[in-house]
Amino acid sequence: MVENTQLVSLTVDGKKISAPAGTLLIDACKASGIEIPSFCYYPGLSLQAACRMCVVRIDKMPKLQTACTVPVAEGMVVTSESDEVRQARKATIEILLGNHPLDCPVCDAGGECELQDMTFTYGAAESRFMEAKAHKEEQQWSPVVFFDRPRCILCYRCVRVCGEVMDVWALGVQNRGVNSVIAPNMGDHLECEECGQCIDICPVGALTSGAYRYKTRPWEMNHVGTVCTHCGDGCKTTLGVRRADNGMEIVRGDNRDKSGINGDFLCIKGRYAFDFQQHPDRLKQPLVRKDGKLKPATWDEAFDTIAKRFNAIREQHGGAGFGVIGSTRTTNEENYLLQKFARSVLGTNNIDHHRTADYPAFAAALAGKPEMAASLRDFEKTPAILLIGNDPTHQHPMLATAIRNNVRLHGAKLFIVNHEGLKLRRQSKAYAHIPKDGYGKFIAFLGGDDAVASALANGHTNREQLMAMREMLRGEHQLVIVFGAEVRGKDLETLVKLGMSHTGVKFACLGDYANSRGAADMGLYPDLLPGFTPLADAGDFAAEYGASLPKSAGMDLEKMVDAAKAGKLPAMFVVGANPMARYNVQLGELKNCFLVVQDMFLTETAAMADVVLPAANAYEKSGTMTNTYGDLQIVRPAGDFAGAKPDLELIVRIADRMGVAPQSLVPFGRGTRADMGQSRGAQSGEADRHAIWMVAQGIEPKVSPFDPQALLDEIQRLVPGYGFSRLNLFAGNDVPTHTAGKGKGAHQDPELIWPANDTLFTSGTLGRYSNTLNSVVEAHEGKRYPTQVETD
Amino acid sequence: MSVLKDIGAIAKGMSITFGEMFQPTVVENYPDGPGPFKGAKFQERFRGLHVLQRDENGLEKCVACFLCAAACPSNCIYIEAAENTEEHRISGAERYAKVYNIDYNRCIFCGYCVEACPTDAITHGHGFELAAFNASNLVYRKEQLLMPTPAPQLQR
Ligand code: SF4
Ligand code: SF4
Ligand code: SF4
Ligand code: SF4
Ligand code: SF4
Ligand code: FES
Repeated sequence: MVENTQLVSLTVDGKKISAPAGTLLIDACKASGIEIPSFCYYPGLSLQAACRMCVVRIDKMPKLQTACTVPVAEGMVVTSESDEVRQARKATIEILLGNHPLDCPVCDAGGECELQDMTFTYGAAESRFMEAKAHKEEQQWSPVVFFDRPRCILCYRCVRVCGEVMDVWALGVQNRGVNSVIAPNMGDHLECEECGQCIDICPVGALTSGAYRYKTRPWEMNHVGTVCTHCGDGCKTTLGVRRADNGMEIVRGDNRDKSGINGDFLCIKGRYAFDFQQHPDRLKQPLVRKDGKLKPATWDEAFDTIAKRFNAIREQHGGAGFGVIGSTRTTNEENYLLQKFARSVLGTNNIDHHRTADYPAFAAALAGKPEMAASLRDFEKTPAILLIGNDPTHQHPMLATAIRNNVRLHGAKLFIVNHEGLKLRRQSKAYAHIPKDGYGKFIAFLGGDDAVASALANGHTNREQLMAMREMLRGEHQLVIVFGAEVRGKDLETLVKLGMSHTGVKFACLGDYANSRGAADMGLYPDLLPGFTPLADAGDFAAEYGASLPKSAGMDLEKMVDAAKAGKLPAMFVVGANPMARYNVQLGELKNCFLVVQDMFLTETAAMADVVLPAANAYEKSGTMTNTYGDLQIVRPAGDFAGAKPDLELIVRIADRMGVAPQSLVPFGRGTRADMGQSRGAQSGEADRHAIWMVAQGIEPKVSPFDPQALLDEIQRLVPGYGFSRLNLFAGNDVPTHTAGKGKGAHQDPELIWPANDTLFTSGTLGRYSNTLNSVVEAHEGKRYPTQVETD
Repeated sequence: MSVLKDIGAIAKGMSITFGEMFQPTVVENYPDGPGPFKGAKFQERFRGLHVLQRDENGLEKCVACFLCAAACPSNCIYIEAAENTEEHRISGAERYAKVYNIDYNRCIFCGYCVEACPTDAITHGHGFELAAFNASNLVYRKEQLLMPTPAPQLQR
């Protein structure tokens, strides 16, 4: 927040400290290891000075001062703890507790409540008030937000986070003085983005969440740091899990430790939409089609059926007999393994996934300059941002938050080009409302083609405004250009080339699902190997895979589905995707196609399958994921669901049954053997700690054919752009990857890109099985956002 | 003289011995006595098998705050919490213990849980015959620990 680097020195409790001029006293103390208690102060929010907990004695000032509002000054002498200060704080607590219920045993905040901690520290446990406490019933404001008024200490953190960070302004203060209450915008309920930021930031248990309330206590859960499995932003989240009859149930998601790219932000999906994990419809055992019906079967039977048919089809038709469809929600390791399996075992390039952005064109355009790809972190501080297409508020909530915070705290300039009115417009410096098909023209206009300006100008934005915007953009020397799926193919190339002629420009390409970027990077394309390597350049991959790789490009997703409908594709292997819903294929329309599906639920595609294998989701396995900006993060198992297996294990087992040596797919067994602790369930954190320790010692696990680290090894070795710091990754940080094509990438058909158009409250198939998201959509009924067929 | 003194002392001692010999026996009539404890008698403070108490309305006092489990030095209390609803009300507060197990393989009867309980729900009763042939029988469930019946007039 403070750019000024001039240091001032001051004395706190006899200790000499220094801090940049302009720093608040409370922050300066914290940075020097002196903790000053606070309720209403929250870093990054406006100052409130409502609670008086942070009072300190500053020499030469008449009264006690609030450390949260006083900036440091040269020569300041501060006493942060003395009898006087303690007495003042104790009195503050005593008054706060005057009407506070004795709810701690049932209160959700119990055990992590700031008021509890302060009462413990300053000891105002005995009340001198005789009057009965004012009681108010708890209120439900929305499916996820509950409010227990007597517990509120009126710190206004919720009001400020909702307004300033979320730009929703759904909470406010009613009345004045002792009668003040926090109130929702609709009087008795909330109409808002349901992000749960207010609940998370509440220092006490006044705001509680529908997903977690009264379920357990903070110290009774295991806490696992992993990555959100919904949109492409890749927020880090800490999942609280507890034992359930069928494994481990996720009961809470937050990022209170502010680790990761998202700080403490999570949108509704990251915070609450983990409930698909325990959805009653989840598949618990393999299904095999017998007499035209899918029937429960043993794992042995399922794997045997698959292996026999796959082997037979390979004998008869060769690689051309297979179509493989990968997922945008599985880990990098699984995607990599899937394409390796398809290419080296099945012998086919018929492999694709649901594309939501033109990553190949992006990589090709960045050829030679991979450092021009922006990380999500670049949005925190960059002085200027140009957003072309997309609606981050809905599709990339974390990006929207990063942009808002940057504008608010650092005065960044935001330029928006869109065919619709976006909420982010409120933060923008300039906004061009162009026709839906005008993106290509706008890029030409940016490049200096004034002729198209009149075609772009419409009722919303006129020619002069466009000209002015272009002028301003040309004056920006540090600019991040971020674009959605509206910009693809040739347009994308032109845009990137244009930006490259300026120094200081960076780019970000927005794709939709948690690991869309990973799927693209790992080569789930019929004409590209991992790292956007053209088939003709197979080099390292050919050498590594041993088998002779198929040379010619395979069929894309649409062609595969068509071929399967025409009876020309004898086998299809679908991992975590629902292509039949996307292409509206009806039951019985596939002819002579042996369909194998790995999924969590009986989706439209799974319902047509001959064998369905129950798969684990990204909250239940380990591996890595790449967000749409190319930031790589580690994924750790939090939940556990009896009966489901990670896709990685399923693929290896299929290959094994087909008679392929697992070592040829997963290079395991080259590491050291060691006690690795449990990798699943309650003690899973143990395995992580072992892993980190082992990496630090230069030895790595990789002792099982299902160990993703063995594959990560190979990815790091072979995939261009994935030469990251391993220690940093395992320590739980995001590390940038830099995939860039080698000049001209294979030309992609821009028509194959199908943006998910998820809103804040939908998330493809996962959203369909999240009761929380559905209940929010229902509550907002009437104001419902357009919904789409889930296709991921 | 000292000899006489010694004889006196011995006589005094023996008189107590013989006097007691003809008193009725004070050894407890366990296990042949009456009552649930089969004649065993306890000090009030004796810490035996836990009892989960009910309030005056017959509702369970335990609100599943997990403090007993946190206080327990041998980590033998296992609780699963759930939320009360209007139709399904188990305890007086918002939350109740859906599962409450005490593992008597591990419990050391220290009384810390009783000390920790903010609602006086968990108490030590006087039950003591806890031996079992199978260790898994020593994991007592809520149903076994709960105070037998709600006050009859308030039964729902
Ligand atoms: S808000 Fe804190 S102090 Fe108040 S009842 Fe809840 S845990 Fe106790
Ligand atoms: S959930 Fe988010 S948007 Fe809704 S009131 Fe709370 S902070 Fe505001
Ligand atoms: S509800 Fe919580 S965050 Fe909001 S004012 Fe009250 S105590 Fe503060
Ligand atoms: S912004 Fe995206 S990654 Fe972050 S919590 Fe929301 S859905 Fe998950
Ligand atoms: S018995 Fe008492 S301490 Fe234990 S969970 Fe129940 S209310 Fe809390
Ligand atoms: S933290 Fe300073 S007044 Fe609240």
